[in-house]
Amino acid sequence: MKKATADNNKDRFELLRQLLLEEDRAKFNLLSDEYLLQEKLSGRVSPLIDEKIADLRGKFPEYFGETITETIKVQIRDSQDEVVEALYPIMGKLVKKAIVSEITKLTESVNKTVKEKFSLQEIFKRFIKGKKNDADVVLQEVFEPIIEEVFIIEKESGLLAGSYSRGNIADKDMVSGMLTAIKSFAEDAFNKEGQDLEDIKFETFQLSIQNFKSIYIAIACSGVLNATFKEELLDKINNLAEIILRKRAYLSDEEKLNQLIEKELITE
Amino acid sequence: MIAKKVLLVGNFGVGKTSLIRRFVKNEFSEDYISTIGVRVSKKIVECNNQEVKLLIWDVAGTDGNEKIPKAYFLGAHAAMYVFDLSREETYLTLDENLAMVKNLSGLQDFLVIGNKKDLLTDEEIEAVKTKATAKIDLITSAKENANVEEAFLELTQQSLK
Repeated sequence: MKKATADNNKDRFELLRQLLLEEDRAKFNLLSDEYLLQEKLSGRVSPLIDEKIADLRGKFPEYFGETITETIKVQIRDSQDEVVEALYPIMGKLVKKAIVSEITKLTESVNKTVKEKFSLQEIFKRFIKGKKNDADVVLQEVFEPIIEEVFIIEKESGLLAGSYSRGNIADKDMVSGMLTAIKSFAEDAFNKEGQDLEDIKFETFQLSIQNFKSIYIAIACSGVLNATFKEELLDKINNLAEIILRKRAYLSDEEKLNQLIEKELITE
Repeated sequence: MIAKKVLLVGNFGVGKTSLIRRFVKNEFSEDYISTIGVRVSKKIVECNNQEVKLLIWDVAGTDGNEKIPKAYFLGAHAAMYVFDLSREETYLTLDENLAMVKNLSGLQDFLVIGNKKDLLTDEEIEAVKTKATAKIDLITSAKENANVEEAFLELTQQSLK
């Protein structure tokens, strides 16, 4: 009787265990199948994905170029104000450059025309007003040419002998060295043996280089450099070089040379 | 203050620029070396109780085929020739390379520097000294900042001679 009761309890325990764990086992088997399937698929799919990525990388412009261009066009059309704001600094610079260039041409042209006129009235007018003509006077008032920097540099070593600076530029000794290197590089690259680099032009800034036997003088100017200004500047540079080359002691006395530059080029 | 132009020359990748980087703070980018073949740096050095303004021209190293403007070598007061202790090809033709720089610069003496000593043992360095075709003045390591200051001071001394 006791044995029958024990058997009955065991059966009930088994039944209870089945009832409680059956659902969990089913879930476990399902998850296990899913994991195995994923692993199986990943082995097959990975190479295909890699291949597709490589293909996309190589042919990106071909596949998406048109769509991207179209999107950009729509974006630009719909946000014109933002585009203008982004482009303004670049456009402004370009416009400034174009205006300065055109005005320079205009000045030259006006000078040429006036010089070609031999009427008594013109000669008389110019005689009264001095060397400059009307166009020069007006333009010089608006875009006055200014000497910004002067460097007197030993030709071969690139060592700075003297200088004048209106603003704050990087270390002048290093600028002189690099300028000499760039000058040598340009002369060598274009194979112009015996010919010296004379001008480097920026948008509203010009670097003029005058070469002498053992030194060269580099002058950076801003504004509109008309023919009269250039002529006068060249005269002054030649005078300065003559003084230095006659009295070489200036090349070993930076302070004295700086004073001479100011006297000959800036204050006169 | 006296100003002197000094050259740093040697094959590509021997560590010239790293030596300069250890010695001076630069204002110009190293990109200039790959574009125009040179970059100028400045350092004021005290030597023999006087201040000397050193303008250091770091001339791009070549493998012999590239063209470097001869003008870079002109007007120099001293030069440091750098080679790589760990690369045989940079010191087996030292004598020829020095003769070439001598010809371009007109200088008679050079400071010969073996760089990257951190990559070799003392025995290996001794072996390099016997193999090199010119007398080595100093052994340096830009990486470990060993003998860098000494090398530039020696170069300054040479520029004052």
